[in-house]
Amino acid sequence: MTFITNVSGFVPAIAATATLLAAAPDAHAEALTLTDIAGREVTLTEAPDKIILGEGRMMYSIAAISDGNPFEKVVGWKDDLILYDPDAFRKFEAEFPQDAARMINFGNPYAGDFSIEAVLEADADLVLLDVGNLFKAEETGLIEKLDKAGVPVVFIDFRRNATENTVPSLLILGRLLGEEQGALEFVDFYIAEMRKVTNVVDQIPAEERPLVVVENAAGWQNDFCCWSFGPYNYGRFVELAGGTNYASKLANAYSVDISMEGIIDADPDHIIGTGANWAEAKPEVTATLLGYEGDPAVNAEKIDALAMRPGFRDLRAVQDGNYHSIYHQFYNSPYHFIAVQQIAKWLYPDDFANLDPQDTFDRMHAKFMPYDNSGQFWLSASAPAN
Amino acid sequence: MPTDTTPPLTAQGIVTVYRRRSGRRVALVALAALALFTTVVIDVITGPADLSFWRVARVILNPSVATTREEVIIWDLRLPVALMAVVVGAMLGAAGAEMQTILNNPLADPFTLGLSSAASFGAALAIVMGLSVIPGVGGLFVTVNAFVVSMLASLALFAFTRLRGVTPEAMILVGIAMLFTFNALLAFLQYGASELQLAQLIFWQLGSLARATWEKVGICLIVLAVVMPYFLSRSWALTALRMGENKAAALGVNVSVLRLMVLAGVSLLSAVAVSFVGAIAFVGLVGPHIARMIVGEDQRGFLPLSALAGALILSGTSIASKAITPGIVYPIGMITSLIGIPFFVSLILSQRKRHWQ
Repeated sequence: MTFITNVSGFVPAIAATATLLAAAPDAHAEALTLTDIAGREVTLTEAPDKIILGEGRMMYSIAAISDGNPFEKVVGWKDDLILYDPDAFRKFEAEFPQDAARMINFGNPYAGDFSIEAVLEADADLVLLDVGNLFKAEETGLIEKLDKAGVPVVFIDFRRNATENTVPSLLILGRLLGEEQGALEFVDFYIAEMRKVTNVVDQIPAEERPLVVVENAAGWQNDFCCWSFGPYNYGRFVELAGGTNYASKLANAYSVDISMEGIIDADPDHIIGTGANWAEAKPEVTATLLGYEGDPAVNAEKIDALAMRPGFRDLRAVQDGNYHSIYHQFYNSPYHFIAVQQIAKWLYPDDFANLDPQDTFDRMHAKFMPYDNSGQFWLSASAPAN
Repeated sequence: MPTDTTPPLTAQGIVTVYRRRSGRRVALVALAALALFTTVVIDVITGPADLSFWRVARVILNPSVATTREEVIIWDLRLPVALMAVVVGAMLGAAGAEMQTILNNPLADPFTLGLSSAASFGAALAIVMGLSVIPGVGGLFVTVNAFVVSMLASLALFAFTRLRGVTPEAMILVGIAMLFTFNALLAFLQYGASELQLAQLIFWQLGSLARATWEKVGICLIVLAVVMPYFLSRSWALTALRMGENKAAALGVNVSVLRLMVLAGVSLLSAVAVSFVGAIAFVGLVGPHIARMIVGEDQRGFLPLSALAGALILSGTSIASKAITPGIVYPIGMITSLIGIPFFVSLILSQRKRHWQ
């Protein structure tokens, strides 16, 4: 046995086979084998119904594919949704008050750690982790220990390599939750909406693509500029929307710290900052408070203040009214096609005159989400009167 | 001691040797200042934006000729950063020099006694918990927190050393206790931090000149202008202290008072520096060593040269951090060591040779 434990992938498989044989008479028990985003083969002896979410924001996806109550098979989560997207949390809370209250809080998702005792105490049968936590989970032996306790771990990803991993992650969630149909429908919607942009911008030659600077979490810190994305996440969204992402040219990294002088020198055509309702967890942020409770009047003031920061205010993009702000949490959701559509519309207003991202988002809510759309998710600064 | 053989040991000869040594000291300090001026010029003329030396010089000498773009780049971005590198480097160099002197320990630096951990903890309180130690400071609260907590730490250090006797041993031991306490508290906060908070915190800890503003440069200059003259006025006593505590006492130096006063100055210098640019290691440790190898222990040369060496290292770092990938901001804490070490090692090697031969 000690030899086999080293070959970690096999143990659950063998265990699963054994359990399957033992439980053969039970018609409900059906083993489920899948490959997760980390490339691990995971076998579940039966469909899980007590799931712990490594990030609260996984509810965006679960809600999108679930037919009925998305909390049905979830027993606990981490508190990122409550802290960093309180608007969305209150949407869930309003629809499913008992479920939102019953969620066990496992703390900070970025710590990448779980109290194994707490997981067992919750009687969980699956832990869903963000692939960004893979290294830590391996380091701390979390996967192995949970495996031993009979709780499989499955990695999904809507952030690190969002545009590549969203579809497979949705399919995995569909299988795990028994919501294959919902997952396929959402994937279909995803592909259709993404193609509405990529089919058009694919024709645009590289040298004609406008230069875009992405400012990750604009206004989160007020004395430093700027965090940006390389060719991942929002950096990739910009590229898919037909823009040239400034930080992609500097480094092939997920996160890139760019300098104000570099931005001034590059003289971008557009600047896109991300914002969300962080003010509840961090009152000093000057970010746009975008989300389901976003107030256009408040945000119009905030974005103009951001655009008027020293260094920014004289940029051509700002002068031309091309300083934009968009909902930060699209970066960790399966519906980043909304961001791609809106960015494309900013970059090519004529080509996408008929594309209406707000309508796409509304249709998506009507068709997939358990709550209605509301609030504000993007806006542009007013062009300073010259 | 290098015993010069040429002039005979007459009164005239001793005066000649002394004058020569003083002259050499002044020349070395002037040379270092000149080198520093050169690096500052290079720092101001380099950057992602392509501006020629003459254009930059004209914009600095006559700001009215600048376009808005040039004005922002040179006056708002490059000059504050270049000058911040100089003043912070000087502060850390001077603080390190005196820390090594009063603790009589070559491994001491401005952060030996836990001041930077305290500052980091203060910053983390602001970044992660959103707690402001002093209410109503607005957007500056990360900086203010870092400063206040590190000053509190040095006050605690004061109190303990007063109780326990002002000896280097007591100071170092209490300092180590502080260091570990604040590191543990810091780890607690880091564990609870979100992705963005963690990025902000780590960037803060690694140190960055990107936050430099004219106000910060001004505050640093004021602190330097208050503390440096005091250090220089005590340079005889500090030089005596390096000969040994008993000898200094025999020469009429009140060693305990001197230690506490100098510690106060060092705390102020390093707390201000660390709260503005983050915890930059190495400069305060190696700057003084470089100075000592060049001019020796006499504080009249050692202290100014330590400050200049610190300023040179940080100014060089500022240039290098822009040159790696134009447009990307690298935390300077990662680069200081890489810049200073080659020079430091070559000094160690050349000194060894002299001693051996």
